[in-house]
Amino acid sequence: MGYLFIIPSLILIFALILYPVFNTLYLSFFNYRVQTMALGKTFVGLRNFIKIFNDETFFKSLKFTLLFTVVAVSMETIIGMIFANIMNRKLPGQGIIRTSVLIPWAIPTIISGLMWKFMYSQQYGIINHIFLKLQFIKEAIPWLSDSFVAVIAVIIADVWKTTPYMSLLILSGLQTIPIQLYEAAAIDGANRKDIFLKITLPLIKPVLSVAILFRVLATFRIYDLIAVLTSGGPANATQSLSLYTIKTYFDFGNIGYGAALATVTFIISLLISLLFLDSLKSKLE
Amino acid sequence: MLKLSDIKNNKYLVNFLYLIFFIFFVGTIAFPFIWQFLNSFKTQRDLFSVPPTFWPTEWTLENYIDAFTRQPFLLYIKNSFVIAILSTFLSITIGSLASYSISRTNIKFKKTYLLLLLSITLLPPITIVNPLYMLMRSLNLLNSYLGLAIVNTIFGLPLAVWFLSGFFDTIPKELEESALIDGATIFQAFYKIIVPLVIPGIFTVSILVFIAAWNQYLFAQILNPLRVRRTITVGITLYQTDYTIPWGTISAASIIVTVPLLILVLLLQRKIISGMLEGGVKG
Repeated sequence: MGYLFIIPSLILIFALILYPVFNTLYLSFFNYRVQTMALGKTFVGLRNFIKIFNDETFFKSLKFTLLFTVVAVSMETIIGMIFANIMNRKLPGQGIIRTSVLIPWAIPTIISGLMWKFMYSQQYGIINHIFLKLQFIKEAIPWLSDSFVAVIAVIIADVWKTTPYMSLLILSGLQTIPIQLYEAAAIDGANRKDIFLKITLPLIKPVLSVAILFRVLATFRIYDLIAVLTSGGPANATQSLSLYTIKTYFDFGNIGYGAALATVTFIISLLISLLFLDSLKSKLE
Repeated sequence: MLKLSDIKNNKYLVNFLYLIFFIFFVGTIAFPFIWQFLNSFKTQRDLFSVPPTFWPTEWTLENYIDAFTRQPFLLYIKNSFVIAILSTFLSITIGSLASYSISRTNIKFKKTYLLLLLSITLLPPITIVNPLYMLMRSLNLLNSYLGLAIVNTIFGLPLAVWFLSGFFDTIPKELEESALIDGATIFQAFYKIIVPLVIPGIFTVSILVFIAAWNQYLFAQILNPLRVRRTITVGITLYQTDYTIPWGTISAASIIVTVPLLILVLLLQRKIISGMLEGGVKG
């Protein structure tokens, strides 16, 4: 009888996850374009993948996506750790902090992207205004139209949106540590650094590694924020792999090459997941 | 993690540092939203003044009127709402059935099933976007409520099953066993005895799936490009043209979309946090 209950979800998983994944892998071996759809698809073997390895736009997108993932997730983790440690203390105003943490999380990414876009405006933006007022900078920064600064701008907007969530996850790990451990360590004369490295970190490692895995994969597939904030510009400086793939599929109508790009994204995600295999196993127990 | 003696010695310093942190933290987090809120009431002149003015020199509702007249914003809200409700309903129905058999029956391949679910959360949506587009096109479900809702459902399913099967585990088996002895079928036992007991869990999952569906952009853009079924997240990006970006209108539209969401989140924050932690990390 139990099987009957699980069938509806299995049908969905097969139709909407497994079939599409294999379909994408399959189409990546074909030359298949919207413009010449009537002619059908022709098998080209690995030619799409060979093309990827000679595709400068691909490498630029991959480089940006990896850099963005590493920097954004590191910052989120470090800042999230600091916030979580402060949130874990019995201090006044904790309710307000925990509530405000949910604001960036609940706002749709598209809307937070639009908010930041206006704040980044070179001429009318509040960020340049504040920085100029505080004398951090001498002249207005072209946040979204300079290749280097645009990368930083996207990272800041992403860290703003996701750090609060990260700090909640880390907090949930911290709360499982019995206070007696800290007291005992303090009595033994351990300093704060030792306590963090030898008690806190090992004990929250399982929670932390799963959280980092999920954040790495979510950041690696970034699309919404970039689509609205920079559309991948200037000069593809902030184009993520997802954005490039979507453009290949739906703007250029190149289904075969798009499928090959999607396959590469899939394989990289798979490799990242395998790196975290141990922590994933703990989630399945 | 401060030592007790430290706290006593530096009580004032610590309090002061905490106050600075508090202002910085809450300020940074809330500022973009507050700024957007103020902008939504500004006139064109204030919005594009150099340097920017913090408070509107004159408060106007013009932007809110524009938000509804420049685009069929009300229609977008309705579309987003219907799709999010439908996604929630489907995730809960399909998810609770699956959770029940995971938690209550001794079917084989439970681990394989859970692994499949986990892989959904690990999968980049980009990998399946084109086949899903072609699938929905051949089923005539492009620009429909159902097509997008089904896609949202599959992404809500892992959370639903994870969270609800944990909930089912806490209900004593004797309850339904006695119902089965009394002659009830497994279906009756399921929806008359078990479902009412897991209502709190269903509620938590519903909020999270609803918010995720409401915020969906990638698939909304690809599967529902036409105005009649366009959702809010897609519609709000279309106020701008190649030549102008009407920031006042966009701010007003953002506020209209965000405020109900924030009220929902603030009212239900306990449930949301517990659901987020359960769904995100089970370490």
